[in-house]
Amino acid sequence: MLTRRGEAALAWLGAWGRAFRFAAGALAAAFTPALYNSATRTVVQKQIYFTAWQILATFTAFAAVLSLVIIQISVSTARDFGLSDYALEVVIRVLVLELLPLLTALFVALRSGAAINTEVALMNINNEIRALEAAGVDPMRFEFMPRVIGGTISVLALTALASLMALVLGYVTVYGLQGSSLPDFGRVMGKVFTIPILLGLWVKCLAFGVAVTVIPIVAGLDAPQKLFFAPIAVLRGMVRLFFVLMLIEVAALALTYI
Amino acid sequence: MADDAERRAFLAGHPAAALVSAEMPLRANLSVLENIAIVPQYRENLDYDRAAHRAWKLLERAGATGCALKRDPDLSFEERFIAKLLRAMVTSPPIILIERPALLLPDTDYPAWLERTLDALAADFNQCWILDYRWNEPLYAPR
Amino acid sequence: MERAPVRAPLIKNLGFKVGLLLALTAALALGFFVYVLYVRGVFQETQKLVLVAANAEGVSIGMPLTFSGFPIGRVSRIALTEEGEARIEIRVPVKDARWLRTTSVFTLERPFVGAARIRAFSTNLQDPPLPDGAERRLLVGDAAEAIPQLVERVRKILDNVEAMTAEDSSLNRSLAHVSTITGRMAGEYGVMEGVLGSPENARHVVEALKKAEALLASLNEASRKVDALLAKTDQRVYGPDGVMDQADRSLAQIGTLLEDVRASLKRADAVLTDAQAISGNVRVASDDLGQLRAEIDESVRKVNHLINELNRRWPFAREAEVKLP
Repeated sequence: MLTRRGEAALAWLGAWGRAFRFAAGALAAAFTPALYNSATRTVVQKQIYFTAWQILATFTAFAAVLSLVIIQISVSTARDFGLSDYALEVVIRVLVLELLPLLTALFVALRSGAAINTEVALMNINNEIRALEAAGVDPMRFEFMPRVIGGTISVLALTALASLMALVLGYVTVYGLQGSSLPDFGRVMGKVFTIPILLGLWVKCLAFGVAVTVIPIVAGLDAPQKLFFAPIAVLRGMVRLFFVLMLIEVAALALTYI
Repeated sequence: MADDAERRAFLAGHPAAALVSAEMPLRANLSVLENIAIVPQYRENLDYDRAAHRAWKLLERAGATGCALKRDPDLSFEERFIAKLLRAMVTSPPIILIERPALLLPDTDYPAWLERTLDALAADFNQCWILDYRWNEPLYAPR
Repeated sequence: MERAPVRAPLIKNLGFKVGLLLALTAALALGFFVYVLYVRGVFQETQKLVLVAANAEGVSIGMPLTFSGFPIGRVSRIALTEEGEARIEIRVPVKDARWLRTTSVFTLERPFVGAARIRAFSTNLQDPPLPDGAERRLLVGDAAEAIPQLVERVRKILDNVEAMTAEDSSLNRSLAHVSTITGRMAGEYGVMEGVLGSPENARHVVEALKKAEALLASLNEASRKVDALLAKTDQRVYGPDGVMDQADRSLAQIGTLLEDVRASLKRADAVLTDAQAISGNVRVASDDLGQLRAEIDESVRKVNHLINELNRRWPFAREAEVKLP
C-alpha cells in the first residue's frame, strides 16, 4: 500500500518534472533563431491562425458583453455607495488585471489546449513522433515549439484585444461618448498601472500562454502508446492545466496585493 | 531473416538506414507532398517552395502526382508506400531499408511492383535494401 | 514540367492575417506601455514640492494632490525625516504649478471610507508662485479622529439643555415665578391700573415686553405640563408687594435663559450638520448622529413649548398693546 502510494507520488512528481523540462526546452528552442526554418514558421502561423484568428470575432464579442455587464454593475454599485471616484479604478483592476487574462487563458485552454492535447496524444500513440524523428525531423522543432510559440502569442493577442475593448467600454460607460475626459481617464490609468504592475501583467499573460500549450503537449506525450489511453491523456492534461492556470492567477494576486 | 528477434537485431545494427516501415507512419495532418518536403526543409534548411519542388519531381518520377495533396487516411496502400519511400529517399541517404513490404502492400504482388517502382526511381537513391522474412524468399527474382 | 502546387489551399492569406494580428498585438503592448509612461507623467516637466506632516498614514505613492477638486500633482516619494516626521514629496507638472502660491495651505484629510486626500488651498492667486523644491507643512484633518470629539461636545450641550428644561430647573422655576406674578396681576386686586397710571413705569414695561416679543416672536403652541403648573399657581395668586420689579427681572432672566438654550441648540445642530457632512457618504456611520439629532429636535421642541407658554400666559403681551395711550 505504502509502496503504491510512493510510486504514485513519484509518478506525479515525474510528470511535473517532465512538464518543466519540456517547458524549459521549448522556451530555449523558441529563443534560438537557428532552429527556425520555413516549416517551423508555417506551423507557428497555422497555430496562431487556429488559436487566435478563428475565434477573434466570437471571443471579442463575448469579452465585450462580459466587460459591459461587470462595468455596469461596478459603476452603479459604486455610485450607490458614493464611491464613484473609485468605480473606474475597480473596473480596470478587476477586468484588465485579473479577469480578462484568466478568461482568455481558460478559453484558449478549452479550445486549443484540448485540441493540442488530443493531437499530440494521437501522434504519440500512432508512433508519428518517432517516424518524424527517424526521417530527420526534430519533433520539438516541428510540432511542439511552434505550438508553444503560436499558442502563447495567441493568448497575448486575445488578452490585449479583450483588454483594449474593456478599457474603451469602461471609458464610454463612465464618461460617455466624448473625448474631453481623457486626462481624467489617464490619471486613473496612471494610478492603476505602475510599471511593475504592467510588467507583472505581461509576465502573467506569458505564463498563461506557455501553460496553455506546454501542459497539454506534455500530457499527450505522457500517454502510453495505446489508443484507449488517448481520452485519459486529454483528461489528465486538462485537469492539470486548470490547476496550473489557477496557481498562476493566485500567485500573481498574492504578489500584487500582499 | 529468420524471425522477429533477428529483424530487430538487424534494425538496431543499421541505425543510419532510412526506414520504410509500417511502424513509421506519415504525419496525418500533412499532405503527401508536405510529408516529403518537410524532410529537406529540416535537414537542409530549404524553403518550402524548393523543398516542395524537389518532392514533386520525385512524385512525378514515381508516377504518383495524383496523390500529392491527399493525406494519409485517403491514400491507397500503394500510394502510402510510395509516399513513405519518397520521404526516405528525398535527402539521398546511403541506405534505404524497406522493412517487411508485405505489411505495407497487402493487396499487391509486391515483389514485381517494388521492382518496377524502384527501377523508375533508380537515379534518386544510392542503395535500397529490402528486409523480409526468409519464408518469402521464393517471391523475389534472383538479382 | 508541371510545377509543384505551392501549398494545400487550406487557408487564404495565412501570412497576412497572422502578421496583422501580430503587428496589432505588438502595437497594443508597446502603445500601452508608452501610454502608461505618459499618464504616469514620465514625459512631463514637473517641479518638486515637499510637505512635512506629523503622520503620513494613508498617504501612498501616486496619490493625487488636488486643487479645487482637480488633481494637479502626485505623491512621488514618502520618507521619514531626522525628526521622525513624514516627508512627502510631490511632483507637480509645471503647467499646473501656477495654482500653488507661497501662501498656499496644504491639508491631508482621511475620510471614513476611501483613500486619504491631500488638498491645496490658495486664497490669493496674486501672491508670488511657489518655487521649485519648496517645503511646506501639511495640516492633518482626520474625520475619524474628529467625530468622537464632536459627538462628545454635542452630548455636553444636550445635557445642558436637559438640565435647563428639567422639572426643577432654574428655567422652570423662573417660569413658575412668572406665572405667579402674572396670576397676581390678573387677579382681583391686580396691579394693571397701577402700572398704567405711571407712564414712566409703563414705558419701561412695554420696552421690556417688546424685547421679549422680538425674542419669542414666532412661537404659538401650549404645553400641558406647564398648563397644569400654571393652573395650580393661578389659584394661589395673591401677594401684592414689589410685583412690578420682580416681573421685570424675571422676564429679563427668562429671556436670556431661553436665548441661551436656543443658541446652544443651534450650536449643537451646526456641529451635527458638520459631522454629517463629513460622514455624508456613509450610510451606516450616520445612525448614531441621526439619533443625536433626533434628541436635539426633541429638546428644541421642549424649549419652544416653554417659550410659547410664556407668550400665551403673559397678560401684558397683548393687553399692553391695546391699552397704551
